[in-house]
Amino acid sequence: MSSLILTIRESVRYRGKSGHYSWIAHRLSGLAILGFLVLHSWDTANAHFYPELYAWSIALFKHPLFAVGEIGVMAAVLYHAFNGIRITILDFKPEWWKYQQRSATIVWVLFAAVFVPIGIYMLVEFWGRCGGLGAACWAFPRVSDFIG
Amino acid sequence: MTTATPSITRRKVQIKFNFERYAYLFMRLSGLILLILAVGHMMIQHVLNSSGNLTLIFVAEQWNSWGWKAYDIFLLLFAIPHGVNGLRNVLEDYIHNPGVMKTINIILAVFVVATVIWAAIGISLFDPEAARQAASSLPG
Repeated sequence: MSSLILTIRESVRYRGKSGHYSWIAHRLSGLAILGFLVLHSWDTANAHFYPELYAWSIALFKHPLFAVGEIGVMAAVLYHAFNGIRITILDFKPEWWKYQQRSATIVWVLFAAVFVPIGIYMLVEFWGRCGGLGAACWAFPRVSDFIG
Repeated sequence: MTTATPSITRRKVQIKFNFERYAYLFMRLSGLILLILAVGHMMIQHVLNSSGNLTLIFVAEQWNSWGWKAYDIFLLLFAIPHGVNGLRNVLEDYIHNPGVMKTINIILAVFVVATVIWAAIGISLFDPEAARQAASSLPG
C-alpha cells in the first residue's frame, strides 16, 4: 500500500516543464469522464428497458449536485479534447517537440476561452431554473414516486 | 565536417502490429472522432438543450429519428472503448503484476462488450410510443 501511495505522490509531484500539469489534467479529466460516461450509458439504456426508473434518474439529475457535476463534465470533456489534439499532433510531428511547453499553454488558454463563457451560461441557466423552483430544487426525487 | 547537424534524428524502425499498437492508434483515431461526436453531444444536449428540460417525452421526440439514434450509437461505440482503454493505460502504470493485469484486462474487455451491446440494444429498440405512455402516468 505504501508503494502505491509513493507512486501516486511521485506522479503528482511537479517535476517541471514538458506539460506535467497537462499530463495530470488529461488523466484526471479522462477518468472523470469515464466514470460519468459508464453511469450515463447504463442509465440512458433504461429509457428503453425501464422507463419509470429512467424518469426517476433524470429527475435526480436536475438536483444542484448533478448540475454542478454537469458543468464539471463539460470542463473535463473540453480540456481532454483540446489536450488530446495536442498529444496526437505531437505524436506524429516529432520536429515540433521543441514546442511542448508552448503547446501546453495554448491548450490551457483555448480551454479557458471556450469553457468560461459556456460554464457561466450553464451556471446562470441552472440558477434561474433552481430559483424558480424554490426549496423544491434541493429535494431529492423519491424512487417510490416513479416506480409503484 | 561542415554539414549542419539536424536537430532531430529520424530512425526508421519496423514495429510489429500487435494489440498494443492497434490500441494506441485507436486512441488517436477515436479521439479525433470523439472530438466531433462527444464535444458536439455536450454542446447540443447540455448547452443548446438543458438537463433542466430533459424528460421522457424529450427523449421520445429525439429518438423518434434514426439519425439521432445513429449519432448516439456511434458515440457509444467510440467513447466506451476509448475511455476503458484509457483506464487500462492508467492502471498499467501502477499495477506491475502481469497476472493481476491480465485478469483486469479480461474484466475490462467483457465490461466494454457488455456495455456497448446493452446500451446499443436499448437505443435501437427504444420505442417512442411506449415511452410516451410510461411518461403519462409519471410525475414531472
